Amino acid sequence: MRSLIGLLPLLFVVTTCSENSTTTSEVPQLSSSSAPETTSTISSGYNTERNAYFGDLHVHTMYSFDAFIFGTTSSPDDAYEFAKGGTIIHPAGFDMSLDTPLDFYGVSDHAFYLGVLRQMADPSTEISKHPAAAGMSTLGGSDDRGAKFTAILQFMRSGRGLEINDPVIRKDAWDDIVASANRHNDPGNFTAFVAYEYTASGADRGNLHRNVIFRDDIAPELPFSRLDSSNPEDLWAWMDNNRANGIESLAIPHNSNGSNGSMFMLTDNAGRPIGDAYANLRMRNEPLVEITQVKGTSDTHPALSPNDEWADFEIMPFRIATSLYSEPNGSYVRQAYLNGLKMQAEGGFNPYKLGVIGSSDTHNASYAGDEDDYWSKVGLRDANGVLRGSVPLSEPRANGELYADTYFNTWGAAGLAGVWAEENTRAAIYDAFRRKETFGTSGTRMKVRFFAGNDLPELDDEDLIGKAYGGGVPMGGDLIANAAGIPSFIAWVAKDPNSASLQRLQIIKGWVEDGEAQEQVFDVACSDGGSVDPTSHRCPDNGAQVNLLDCSISEGLGAAELKARWQDPSYDPDQHAIYYVRALENPTCRWSTWDAIRAGVAPRPDLPATIQERIWSSPIWVTPSQ
Amino acid sequence: MVVTNLGYSVPVNERGDSALSGLVRQPLVWFALIGIALFVADSRFSVGRSEIYVSTGLQDRLAALWTTQTGLIATEAELDSLLQNWIRDEVLYQEALRLGLDQEDSIVRRRLVQKLSFIAETEQTLAPEIATLETFYRNNIDDYTLPKRYSFRQLYFESLGSAEQALRDIGLGHDTSGLGDPTMLNASYAYRSAIDLNATFGFGFPDQLQGLEIAKWQGPIRSGFGYHLIQTTSVEPEQTSPFATVQQQVAIDYRQYQQENARDAFVINLMDQYTIVVEQR
Repeated sequence: MRSLIGLLPLLFVVTTCSENSTTTSEVPQLSSSSAPETTSTISSGYNTERNAYFGDLHVHTMYSFDAFIFGTTSSPDDAYEFAKGGTIIHPAGFDMSLDTPLDFYGVSDHAFYLGVLRQMADPSTEISKHPAAAGMSTLGGSDDRGAKFTAILQFMRSGRGLEINDPVIRKDAWDDIVASANRHNDPGNFTAFVAYEYTASGADRGNLHRNVIFRDDIAPELPFSRLDSSNPEDLWAWMDNNRANGIESLAIPHNSNGSNGSMFMLTDNAGRPIGDAYANLRMRNEPLVEITQVKGTSDTHPALSPNDEWADFEIMPFRIATSLYSEPNGSYVRQAYLNGLKMQAEGGFNPYKLGVIGSSDTHNASYAGDEDDYWSKVGLRDANGVLRGSVPLSEPRANGELYADTYFNTWGAAGLAGVWAEENTRAAIYDAFRRKETFGTSGTRMKVRFFAGNDLPELDDEDLIGKAYGGGVPMGGDLIANAAGIPSFIAWVAKDPNSASLQRLQIIKGWVEDGEAQEQVFDVACSDGGSVDPTSHRCPDNGAQVNLLDCSISEGLGAAELKARWQDPSYDPDQHAIYYVRALENPTCRWSTWDAIRAGVAPRPDLPATIQERIWSSPIWVTPSQ
Repeated sequence: MVVTNLGYSVPVNERGDSALSGLVRQPLVWFALIGIALFVADSRFSVGRSEIYVSTGLQDRLAALWTTQTGLIATEAELDSLLQNWIRDEVLYQEALRLGLDQEDSIVRRRLVQKLSFIAETEQTLAPEIATLETFYRNNIDDYTLPKRYSFRQLYFESLGSAEQALRDIGLGHDTSGLGDPTMLNASYAYRSAIDLNATFGFGFPDQLQGLEIAKWQGPIRSGFGYHLIQTTSVEPEQTSPFATVQQQVAIDYRQYQQENARDAFVINLMDQYTIVVEQR
């Protein structure tokens, strides 16, 4: 049943959003419209200084070939109901629901074989008689499902994938996905995006996956899949063509960490050095990147950022859906920023001006970012601690290993997409994606503001946000260096009121000096009265602890908010540079520790027992004025 | 029907003779088998081929469709080509029907099921009486009820002590402007449900708003951020929308309900007209 907004014309109803300004007040007023579908009218939560909204743009349902094999029977409708606060059932039979609903959600099923596996499992269908469908109607436990998943991947790679890529089945599923998103989209309250996943990979199985998000309620006849082309440049050309025909979309690459160096190459797909045309094509279609999700975080890698003490965070070392090692070089976002700056400085183009979001990549239709309520993401394959490798097997394996032989122990409870948008509508949130006024979190609902400019207000200004927008650029923007002065930055983070307090606020700088990419992490605000050491640029340790017996945390430590007005001590107006914010919570128990405590066993010793949840802003690019 | 499933009806034992399974994978073998099957099937059918009649009306429709798609008037040559294509497709379509290729085809089956379900759902029903809508509204009253909502101003304090001091100052007549620590939170919130407030301030916050007096600064109450003084401006009780204000939505919901009912009734009625025998396993 449709929401009640607009049904009571005399009541002004403010929705599940989070207005965020010291000076913002919500003024009850008469609602003029009773038509919730009308997007041209301003919705009740409208805020010119923009609200933070949280969502997940990476969600698989029963229509994804793998999700179906993993036991997922939840539909797109179920997925959206879950996001709005409803309860759905995990394939293993337990209830899943969110403590607080999400503001936006995008079901993004794999385009290839869309809906096909579900039809294969129905013995009355023609496709169920195809040899590749063998055993699909009698899927068993975790191991059987893992074997069937591998078998389908092998069939696909045999070059016979097109035999089962039935366009009629795909069309039925796609129509249902589009209709479901349109049905659940509720301007002012909840945004449902039409979306899908383009699931390409290179010959070495390096991951090239992207989610494609559509702005409006119209969508192409069928989504472009890896069976149309496994070259992402062809996907972008298809998106260009759609755009020319009035269908606007953007693509968000994910799991660059599992790309074996192929997500952020210095060449195009054919191996030619990247030039202006490639950079423009990519940037026109890919303004964002998914920096974190269940299958690991792609900010940076300890091997790439040896001086960043927090780089070793939720590192997932494999190529996607394999146990093959993934080469870090070319696989992480921060390095892509730096290589983009070099290309900008040397050639005047940058294919890697990416804003960031987080998302989950759940294959259970249900966002999976809570450490203490974690169901991972591949249905019956990782439904409990034993299967996920956080709880010992009842009998050790033949080689004496105590834990299951899976890669699910390298996964984590993450992540969320955040945007700053005027209201909770498709248009406002999509425009925020395009502006890159976005952030990602490792799963908790922290919020971050970030501005740069030569005319920013002081931190105690009553109209801090209004003046920051007026005198600077927000995250995702470009600042042209001004020879007259050193730019200032305002970074401001607020905690998740239902999670741990904040430990430190950081600005990460990348720049090009004498042709070499450089990076440095600056702490800019500390909790608990600490001050940043001017030489090491580090806060003192605030001493926050976790009790691993019951996951309780230190009382009274950490901050509700951290804020800084900062100038770069090594600023050089002739250098190309980027700056982005990272802020860290006090440590809390990681999902694997929660699993172990609930099973009455010790946490697995080779996994981190705690996690420092974090938030990343999109960067601001500072460009020399010449 | 022998024909349609023959493509996959040869039993393939996965662990069986590798020579046979190799043979089975050869497309030529498949084509030959399908050809033989079609021939056998054809010779068994006594049904003749009926005339394909291409009316001028159909020709006009083809020409009009061309104009819709291209924005141009079809030339004689284009019209002839459209016609020949249509005839070719129609011959194949009729022949496929004659051979029963539509039988036991899951795609065709599903399309036909969808079409009939759609017809059943959209069967013209009379506009409902107001009384009917009112009954429907009463029976589904939860769908037309908003939860309890709070409107309030708030001042934020990091420490309990400074919140208590501020409350004393307000009690002595001090202005609230300039009071409170800086925060990303708003100075006021309007019509917020408990679900919203749990997300914005942390779990347990809305419970503490219960029973606060209107217009009076009170507190401190605890949130996920720290301490707050609250001036409640209004509390809207759980509120059921009067029928008159939601009548349009009730009509939409009722129509949806009717459609589902119509489809179910249609199926039940049909089931009665079929004799269904389920063989014992």
